[in-house]
Amino acid sequence: MKPKLSACFGRRLSILSCALLLSLAARAQQMLDGRVTADGAPLVGAGVVIKGTTKGVSTDVSGNFSIRVAEGDVLQIGYVGYRSREITVTAAMTFVEAELESENVIDDVVVVGYGSMRRSDVTGSVVSVSMDALRDISSPSVEGLLQGRAAGLQIMNTSQDPGSGAEVRIRGNSSLNGSNTPLVVVDGFPIGDAGNLSQLNPSDIESIEILKDASSAAIYGSRGANGVILITTHKARGGRTDVTVNHRTTVGYFTDRLNVWRDPLLMAQIANEELTNAGLPALYTGRYENGTYYPSLIEIQRGEWSRTDWADLCLRTAIVNNTTLSVAHSTERGSVNASVGYYDDQGVYRKDGFKKGNVQLNGTWKLGRNFTLQASNLFSIHERRVNNTLEYGRNPLWPVYDENGDYYISSLTDFSHPLVVTDNTKNSTAGRDLISSLAAEWEIVGGLKLRTQLNYNYATSVHDAYNASNTSQEAFDMKGIARIDNGHSQDVLTETYLTFQRSFGNRHNLSVMAGHSFDYETARSLSTTAYGFVNDALGNENMGSGDPQKNVVRNTYSMSKLLSFYGRANYSLDDKYLFTFTMRADGSSKFGRNSKWGYFPSGAVSWKMHNEAWMKQARGIDEFKLRVSWGISGNQGISPYQTLDRLGVEKYWFADKWQTVIGPGYEADREGANDRYVVWGGIANPDLKWESTRQWNIGLDMAFLDARLRLTVDLYDKYTTDLLREKYLPLSSSYDKMWVNDGNIRNRGFEATLDGQIVRNEKFSLSATLIFSLNRNKVCGLGNAVSSGLSTDYLTGMQYEYCGQSLPMFNANPSIYAVGYPMYVFYGYRTAGIIQQGEDPGFMSSDGKDLPGEFRYVDLNGDYAIDDRDRCIIGDPNPDFTASLNMAFRYRNLDVSLFFNGVFGNDVIYNGYTYDPRVKTKRWTPDNPTNRYPRLNSTRSYLFSDYFVHDGSFVRLQQLNIGYTIPVRRAFLRSIRLFANIENLFTLTGFEGYDPETGVDGIYWGGYPRLRKYTFGLELKF
Amino acid sequence: MKKIIHTLACCALLVACDLREEPYGFYSRNNFYKSEADAESGLMYAYNALTFLEYSRGIFYIGDIPTETMSPKSDEAGDVYQLENWIAGRETEQLKYYFKFCYIAINRANAVIDRLEDNPHVGETARRRILGEARFLRAWNYFNLVRTFGLVPVQTRTVAELSQTTPPMARDLDQLYDLVFADLTVADDLLQIDKRFGRADKAAAQSLMAKAYLTVASAKEHGVYRYREMRRDPQTMYDSAAYWAGKVVRDYAANYGFDDDLRAIYDVAKPDGPEHIFIMANDRSGTQEGNYSKLPLMFLPSNNSVPFYIRYGDGSLQRANGNGWGVFLCNDEFVENAFSTTDRRRTELIHRTIYDQTGQPIVPNQVRGYFSSKYVDPDFIGERTSARPFLIRFSDIALVYAEAAGPEAGLPYVNRIRSRAGIPLLPEGMSVAEFRAAVIRERALELAFEGNRLFDLRRTASVTTTDIKAAGLSEAEAAYYPIPQREIDLNPNL
Repeated sequence: MKPKLSACFGRRLSILSCALLLSLAARAQQMLDGRVTADGAPLVGAGVVIKGTTKGVSTDVSGNFSIRVAEGDVLQIGYVGYRSREITVTAAMTFVEAELESENVIDDVVVVGYGSMRRSDVTGSVVSVSMDALRDISSPSVEGLLQGRAAGLQIMNTSQDPGSGAEVRIRGNSSLNGSNTPLVVVDGFPIGDAGNLSQLNPSDIESIEILKDASSAAIYGSRGANGVILITTHKARGGRTDVTVNHRTTVGYFTDRLNVWRDPLLMAQIANEELTNAGLPALYTGRYENGTYYPSLIEIQRGEWSRTDWADLCLRTAIVNNTTLSVAHSTERGSVNASVGYYDDQGVYRKDGFKKGNVQLNGTWKLGRNFTLQASNLFSIHERRVNNTLEYGRNPLWPVYDENGDYYISSLTDFSHPLVVTDNTKNSTAGRDLISSLAAEWEIVGGLKLRTQLNYNYATSVHDAYNASNTSQEAFDMKGIARIDNGHSQDVLTETYLTFQRSFGNRHNLSVMAGHSFDYETARSLSTTAYGFVNDALGNENMGSGDPQKNVVRNTYSMSKLLSFYGRANYSLDDKYLFTFTMRADGSSKFGRNSKWGYFPSGAVSWKMHNEAWMKQARGIDEFKLRVSWGISGNQGISPYQTLDRLGVEKYWFADKWQTVIGPGYEADREGANDRYVVWGGIANPDLKWESTRQWNIGLDMAFLDARLRLTVDLYDKYTTDLLREKYLPLSSSYDKMWVNDGNIRNRGFEATLDGQIVRNEKFSLSATLIFSLNRNKVCGLGNAVSSGLSTDYLTGMQYEYCGQSLPMFNANPSIYAVGYPMYVFYGYRTAGIIQQGEDPGFMSSDGKDLPGEFRYVDLNGDYAIDDRDRCIIGDPNPDFTASLNMAFRYRNLDVSLFFNGVFGNDVIYNGYTYDPRVKTKRWTPDNPTNRYPRLNSTRSYLFSDYFVHDGSFVRLQQLNIGYTIPVRRAFLRSIRLFANIENLFTLTGFEGYDPETGVDGIYWGGYPRLRKYTFGLELKF
Repeated sequence: MKKIIHTLACCALLVACDLREEPYGFYSRNNFYKSEADAESGLMYAYNALTFLEYSRGIFYIGDIPTETMSPKSDEAGDVYQLENWIAGRETEQLKYYFKFCYIAINRANAVIDRLEDNPHVGETARRRILGEARFLRAWNYFNLVRTFGLVPVQTRTVAELSQTTPPMARDLDQLYDLVFADLTVADDLLQIDKRFGRADKAAAQSLMAKAYLTVASAKEHGVYRYREMRRDPQTMYDSAAYWAGKVVRDYAANYGFDDDLRAIYDVAKPDGPEHIFIMANDRSGTQEGNYSKLPLMFLPSNNSVPFYIRYGDGSLQRANGNGWGVFLCNDEFVENAFSTTDRRRTELIHRTIYDQTGQPIVPNQVRGYFSSKYVDPDFIGERTSARPFLIRFSDIALVYAEAAGPEAGLPYVNRIRSRAGIPLLPEGMSVAEFRAAVIRERALELAFEGNRLFDLRRTASVTTTDIKAAGLSEAEAAYYPIPQREIDLNPNL
């Protein structure tokens, strides 16, 4: 028996893989009794089959079995998640004691779309992530935990706010306007985009599979192009009752000092210099501005002015409490899993937080020999209370209270007093989610199974908000703004498929799956807004007490249907040559009238070279498997009704009231500065369809030295066509844009996972996993340059369009999609330091950009002026590569793991860099002619330049985990585990801001420093 | 048995699964334009196109900024400076959006016209009125397109599918004016005198007819580029303008006439005053810009968000937004040289000082130049105001009449306006040419900052001699703005 492998790959479980190789021949001569155990406990329902026959029995509640055998028969004993064993029957045998071991990597069962298979039979690119390594970390949803855990999977934890999710990508970005996020499938039920799956308690998850290539993901058709994440929840097994209680408390501290003014005198000096340099009167001279007195420097120096620590008033230590109680019980007739989880995250900002409760109830019933019923229910309630915009950098000279004991407000337009905002703002969202499924599985004859599953997903949420008239200009003007928004959505999905599995002789193995599904999704919302309250006492509790003429009511509804037929055939010859073919046809109501049906084929071949005779001689090589796959998958992108014609609805003032007016052209979008211009849509495109991704994948799975060293490498080429884009129409058509399929993106990459079992024995083990991912993204086409409205770079002729959002600091979009370049590259000006006194800046400017102390912009086109034509690509937020290293160490009952995660070679836009107090104090002055920091200038209009583009590479010790398990041999208590986990112990980076981890667009927003989270926990098993 | 159930279930699902989409919660061509109320609503949708800031600000960007009367503040972002400096081109954003919104209004009007022609659900009275207003609106927009851009594409049907999105270019100006006159003749026939704030009636159609005839008459007389080739006789055009304007100034005294109180014309509380033949419908109770107006912010200087006051000759104070942007500045030279110092249109409507509520001047202040108080709403709510652009004003049509009819018939109308302004009357016995030049000058003063001046300069071929910034151009170059680039690029039928 080969030694167990990495802790990274854990136990697998699936009903379907119960099927063992069956055949029709049978003989019987004697009765043989036996017992099957695992982990020292009896295994209930383990299969005991005579090899080469269909004859078999299951173990009973004590793990015992009894079977009629003949001498020489080979007993195959199997149980999902455990390595099967073969025992040859001898004449002397009367009782068989079989201890099953947990599966190791090679013989793992892997969940794939609509089924599962032995890992060694997988022909596509599928990665399994074990939850074992993640079990001690608290997180509202599982996605953030997956960072660095699988090659080709990119996770960006961009927000640390309570309840926030993560950005998830598999093998890069491939859509401009559609989703780039993988599909999440929970226990066979496609839920939607990954990112924040808070409906599920991470503790309830057994395993996660990531489908990366077309051969594995194309079975999900028009939703598979961004890859698929399959989540399998816990199922009870082993014929016993397990009760687990797990509690974790997490305390989060900033890893960096807050970047605020601590010395008011310095702040005032800087502010004065900033204004004086701009030719404006200095502020801190002991004068009134806007009704507020600004003391002179000497007054500040004398200390007559308060020094309010606003950060202390706004922020607090973040605390997370997370408790899970779970019960698992299984018998030969079935099993039940129940768990209750509670998660409470008190955010960094006062009165900012997220709470949720999860309930899971799964059950399996065996109704007769061939018929099994399964039910799965995940219920969650959650509430997010938002108060995360407090201005902790408020002027420290301003007191908290005025002389009357009221909150001190500096002027009529000062709406940023953090306590005023905290006390007078309500903003919370509460929701409930139910994910439920009922499945029946019928083994019609040996090897032929019918499974039908009915899934239901219901989500509802209520958003309550009130902005009192002293919390914003708009609320002031409107005398209070109250909102209640309700939304609910539901999804009914039925799946029915047949699976047939059969061996022909010893050489041929065939399994075929075919089925269909029907998905019906609806979503409704109702949002109400009221304005004009007499006072703020009731908040949004009585919206009818607002000004009835100002009420705003909006409601929406959408419905979509997806009808699908799919199938897969796996064939293996001699367990050496494996072939997979899949096909899916998706008909969607969302697609245009003329293109309702999409077809998504894929194929893969795999060659297990290690099973070739010539290879078997090679010592030290346990596995050498080549995989090649190709396929097409899709991305729906389109929202319901998007292909239909649509009239607009507006209001017109006539006869002393607002009339509802309707006609051609509706407001599809906004553009221009402050979104002032309307973009008109509404013209139908009956040809609109899905985006299509064609992907090649070549992979190699290798295992050496008794499989103690494993290496998996994959090369892929993903080419996406028919990108969903908007095409411009002539202005005289009265429409701006029309949705079309046009444009191409390519992602090519390389992934490697090296897994080493360095030491392994009873007392001591040490293992390490190194994961490396490299992706090269390129926009290959953006359609016709004219009708796509593409701009042309003056210097290179490169065609591009802006993407993402405009940054207020530059009043410009920093990111573009440019043909021939990766998505989101930065486009702006180059700088070469700071203009020094008496030096030729190399250009002339009418608004002072050429003065000493200003940026020395590079005049690329040589016309002695700095304008649009001097721009070029100045950065790329896509990393060169990402890598992670997980090291696990165990000595007796003590386990320690270290997890490093790194991102390399990406650029980050340090938005607001020159506004930072730390940067301001290092400013250029005639006496300090630095070449790194510009002079202070309060009215400078910033051009977006490479000065703001910083290297975002980092290596983080993401997790340090220490656990100690105390085995207890009491009747009821089985074990106690104590653990501690430190998240983000340190980060190595050259980035000057709080933390360089940003979203895919590479824009750093500041916010607050990254938290270092200390988690302490206790797990009791009964 | 189970197999049967499954088979049945599968079949049921297949039958249930019709992949067609029915629109839910939004109007489409299939569920609208069915009734009279629909038609009325569709008609007001066409009016509403004018309220969007792309259009309503365009009135001033195009009508005033390029002339000697008004300039943007020096650091105004965007392409306004191109209009100011007469370097506007195919990419100038204000022109692009104005062009687009003219066609949006045209398409909305076309939709009403197309769907009303054979609609049995609309009664005859309503049908005549709605169709008349829609025809007026289409003419209004083609007239503005032709005087801004010259030759433009002609779209007279609703755009419903991709094949209709590339309308052909007009052959010549005659084709466009034929369309304008035809629409207005029909509108005149269909409409009654029916003064309603925010809507057009018979007087509006006749006023627009008069303006269009006058434009052709004077442009042809002055040999303006493209008008030169028109198959129309200037004198006939003048006579037609006088005929239609004459109807407006004489026949509807119960509804339309001069407002003797100069400031009352600009009082946002009086949009139905006698001067207002057609005025934009904005109201401060709206929830988005366009429904309410931010026009005062364009004209008024900033006072750090603290409301200030404008002081008038009688000592009265008018409250004004304190968060103005001061974009539209009245040119010093125009204010100081074109107006007499006693002209009430200067003393009452153009200011350089702001006051606090006690009537004391605020110093220092952020006033950067003369600003107009034609667009002030003292009851503003934050940025929301009811200040409205004046689309057709009685005084405008009175001056159109005077110019078209000549000194004999026209003099009393000009002098009525001059006496309201408190300046000396024009003498009798002027030559026709002198008189018409005097009327044009009067228009500059009376209709200052109301989106009028550029078109008067263009139709008299005097842009380059009046605005120093256009001096380098030929009159032909100054006569029209180029068709925006996106239209050139995407419409192969130009």
